[in-house]
Amino acid sequence: MEGLPTINRRHFLKQAGTFGTLSLLGGIPLAALANEDHIALTILHTNDVHSRIDPFPMDGSRNQGLGGVARRATLVERIRSEQRNVLLLDAGDTVQGTPYFNLFGGKVELELMSKMGYEASTIGNHEFDNGLEGLAKMLPYAKFPFLTANYDFSDTMLKGKTREYSIFKKQGLRIGVFGLGIELDGMVDPTLCRDVRYLDPIATANTLAERLKQDYRCSFVICLSHLGYKYQGNKVSDVVLAKNTRNIDLIIGGHTHTFMPAPESIRNLNGELTTINQVGFGGINLGRLDYVFEQQSGRKELVTASSYEITDGVSVWNG
Amino acid sequence: MCQKREFCNTMKYFTPKNRLALLAIALGLGSASCSRYFAPREQAVYTKLQIDSTLTGDSTFLQLYAPYREQLEAEMNRVVGYTDVNLTHPRDVPETRLGNFFADALLAEGKKRHPDAELSFGTKGGLRIELQKGTITMGNLFELMPFENEMVLLELSGKSLLQLAQFIAATDGQPVAGLRMRIKDGKAIDITVAGKPLELSRTYKLITYDYLANGGDNSRGLSNPVSRTNLGLKVREALITYVGEQTRAGKHINTQLDGRITHNQ
Repeated sequence: MEGLPTINRRHFLKQAGTFGTLSLLGGIPLAALANEDHIALTILHTNDVHSRIDPFPMDGSRNQGLGGVARRATLVERIRSEQRNVLLLDAGDTVQGTPYFNLFGGKVELELMSKMGYEASTIGNHEFDNGLEGLAKMLPYAKFPFLTANYDFSDTMLKGKTREYSIFKKQGLRIGVFGLGIELDGMVDPTLCRDVRYLDPIATANTLAERLKQDYRCSFVICLSHLGYKYQGNKVSDVVLAKNTRNIDLIIGGHTHTFMPAPESIRNLNGELTTINQVGFGGINLGRLDYVFEQQSGRKELVTASSYEITDGVSVWNG
Repeated sequence: MCQKREFCNTMKYFTPKNRLALLAIALGLGSASCSRYFAPREQAVYTKLQIDSTLTGDSTFLQLYAPYREQLEAEMNRVVGYTDVNLTHPRDVPETRLGNFFADALLAEGKKRHPDAELSFGTKGGLRIELQKGTITMGNLFELMPFENEMVLLELSGKSLLQLAQFIAATDGQPVAGLRMRIKDGKAIDITVAGKPLELSRTYKLITYDYLANGGDNSRGLSNPVSRTNLGLKVREALITYVGEQTRAGKHINTQLDGRITHNQ
């Protein structure tokens, strides 16, 4: 606690009052960052929402009543009203799992994500479920890019319809985001992904992350990964990716539907920390990571990490 | 208090005035127990949040998809049948009610077209929800089997079927019908098909679906069939027909565990 003034609770409450109401939604209130040299960035994320437009049905099952796109939209709007710099991302498998996809082919999911202001997603294995034709048909409904660096679509009808990466600028901060997908062999029916070439995710990530950091001067590099959190054996996962790469600050994961109890930080090849987070599936949770960047020194720090459970529950803070 | 180390590190970024604000947030989060919210060094402050009751759905979103929802409900709320038991799918047992229901339906519908089919095979990962006791709607069957997978008849050599049985054992059981076996040390033993011991010298007709026949889920034994016939029938349609016919016959689904795959005790 060196350097911190001791403070009693009454004094603290008085001081806190001068900064206005504390955010009920968490994170760092803008008032805490009056200093121009510091920029706060709030990253919100989902994965494997699987066409869960309505909350899970009230049928006695484990997840009944949870999730739902309309409540997620309200939450995202509120957080945006409190934070200047918000990035809303998804890690793939946006579709397949409810009849919305069977009946409307992905249109409803992607239109609602667009309206909510998603800034990027990636191609999960279930994005292939209606074949390349189905994917080509639904992509125009997304007003955000699908980022994927290791599916080579150049010999398919999807050529030019996806991007390897995007760079987002927030208050002068450059954030590089790219996507990685899971091995197709044994996962996606070969008739549904004909002529798609699968590129090694680790080599691809190393090349691209370095380019984003060095050539494009990104302060922060995010990988939207549909590789899966962790496996027994050597199968490439987010954990394996983190250990074997440089220049990735954050991996937003998916595929394994893992409800991580907290983000996991792993030392990468540069000896720096790469953080992995994944928030279950079905839009049950919205993940939130609050970073602070120091402009001059280039230092950055993950200050708070949270996940909101989308429910009718009344408890705001539920550790 | 040492567990606040990371939090203290973040303080370096703030002017004294702003430190108070950040501390305010921290105390707001962690008034009950600091250690609960401040993870050890190199971990960020972690909180699990529930939204409050005032957070209702955004009405513009609800309106936006209401027409789709109405169309969907008109089609999906139709009751196809009933189940007297919860068709559950726990992942830590080799045989489940949901798996049996699914594989039984596959075999029954496959046999209508190919009466010489003797067994069926699916994978656990393909069953996407459990079915609760009570009505079974179209929507339930779409969510159980959302994929557009189509049924396939494979004629397999006895050796290939043994490979498949070993895959089933190695993955601690998969949905099957017509096949019985025990798992001992991760290996299949006492394998029978349609009540008779597996014979390596003959062939067997198996009902499965294209995703698996094309190499999905890394299953083994299906890649070199003696012959393959695509049935041109979606797995989901087969399930709808199967449940619907039970209902028309005045019956409910009442799938039980019958020990088709067990661990060697």
